[in-house]
Amino acid sequence: MTRTINPDYIRGDLYTQRFEQGKRENTLILNMGPQHPSTHGVLRVVLEMDGEYIVRAEPVLGYLHRMHEKMAEVKSYVGFMPNMGRVDYLHPLAWNWSYAGAVERLAGIEVPRRAEFLRVIATELNRISSHLLWWGAYLLDLGAFTPIMYAFEDREILMDILQRPTGARLTYSYFRLGGVGADMDERCLRQILDFVPYLRKKLPVYKDLVTDNVILRKRLEGVGDMDVDMCRRYGATGPILRGAGLASDTRLNETYSVYNEIDFDIPSFPETDAMARYMVRIREIEESLKIVEQAVAMIPEGEILIKGAPKPNWKAPAGEAYFATEGARGKVGVWVVSDGGKSPYRIKLRAPGFSNLSLFAEASQGTLLADAVAIMGSIDMVIPEIDR
Amino acid sequence: MSEQLARRFTTLCLAKGEYKKSGQAWVATLSPRDLPAAAQELLDAEFHIEDVCGLDISEGLMAVYHFDHFTRPGRVTLRVLADRDKPEIPTISHIFQGANWHERETNDFYGIIFTGHPNLIPLLLPEDADFHPLLKEEAARKNAAALLEKGEILDQAAGFTLFDAPVADAPIESGASGEGEAAGEGGK
Repeated sequence: MTRTINPDYIRGDLYTQRFEQGKRENTLILNMGPQHPSTHGVLRVVLEMDGEYIVRAEPVLGYLHRMHEKMAEVKSYVGFMPNMGRVDYLHPLAWNWSYAGAVERLAGIEVPRRAEFLRVIATELNRISSHLLWWGAYLLDLGAFTPIMYAFEDREILMDILQRPTGARLTYSYFRLGGVGADMDERCLRQILDFVPYLRKKLPVYKDLVTDNVILRKRLEGVGDMDVDMCRRYGATGPILRGAGLASDTRLNETYSVYNEIDFDIPSFPETDAMARYMVRIREIEESLKIVEQAVAMIPEGEILIKGAPKPNWKAPAGEAYFATEGARGKVGVWVVSDGGKSPYRIKLRAPGFSNLSLFAEASQGTLLADAVAIMGSIDMVIPEIDR
Repeated sequence: MSEQLARRFTTLCLAKGEYKKSGQAWVATLSPRDLPAAAQELLDAEFHIEDVCGLDISEGLMAVYHFDHFTRPGRVTLRVLADRDKPEIPTISHIFQGANWHERETNDFYGIIFTGHPNLIPLLLPEDADFHPLLKEEAARKNAAALLEKGEILDQAAGFTLFDAPVADAPIESGASGEGEAAGEGGK
């Protein structure tokens, strides 16, 4: 039996064909993803390979695109909040915050002090759970299976804690315009205070098990240089920037809420390689624990939501506002434009992962394919956030 | 950003933003041809690119660029208005490489053509998409004066009237006064 092969199918889609045009002699075009395990779901990268070395790489996006920005234009201001839990499912509270912050800035809403602390506590716990999942999944990418078991065990506790005030385990929409949705009761705060020393005890285990492991160091040290100049040109922020040696963090740089009342450090490592970015995240877990501990001690009694908080038929004043927060992956920005109606006129979601991943093409040039996986993982990408 | 730097842009309108209210320290409206030079000035002054957004308004299609500094906060917004029939704006992807994807995305959503872009093919939409999802219906469009922050104008080119247009008759309520009514009717 003869098999017929569609010649168009072999030539690939638009992205492969365009990529092929710039091909050098004796190189191979390789398609990685969108179902490759180390592309975390649905990222596709078209590669031009010279043996084991990457000549060119081009990420192809859009497999998880849901057009949140269009949804914003047909929903009410309040009704759009659940979308924010679904943009970045690993650190949804940063998105909750950026959106709530942008609308509050536009409408001049002051958030009650207790709610500010609740926001800080929940967001920092969520940051830890995001970093834990990254840690486990990254090591999985690098071929170590066991660490993700440890990470998930600890992350499970965090999800139990956050489930109490937010009512969800993954796609949180805890924030409200003008506060938060529910208070943290005594039991929840006690659970949090128990968790802080628990995780502090676990972190040395992580260090002994993985961070000091010679195989990990050999795979990460000196791999994937990303310096400050590159971050500037691509707009890369978060652990990538701090792994390039610049201690810049939106929480303090463009300070919001009560972060300037809390004592914490911005870890930065000057090595610019994948190991530096790894270390930044591990240190950030410690710093987040510090923040949570202080915030629980400082939390005042009081309201958690302003009186007359926006309801679904609320109209925002006309105008524009930009608000940025520090997510686990970098600067999460929301730009909201209002014409005075019940729905936003325009919402732009500035995803840190989008800018961070755009840097991958340049960073992976001339590296081994196996190192490219180490670089990609060190960017900590969450595809739903990149594709929005 | 210092005023000295801001003055080096060739602008149609240069204004100081009210950072506490809008998150923008500077807002400048430029003609498309002056954009790359302004972007280069910002890169030289160690600014980074945050994003490139499109905006569909009555006057045409606008591209809005946000820049910020890693250590000295102060968001700089550049606005460039393009003609709806021929929405062409020069690319800045050779200056800020991060703009490459942002411009492709804006092309997807609004159909703005970034001239000189090395690879202006769909980024998030399917390769055969023949629509621009964020374009608005004629009736739904508002003018720039009704939407965007005007700021404290320092410098304005002769004949520049973008922000002088009469505000559309959309009901504009302040945040505080709208809430009472909202609270009463809400929850239906």
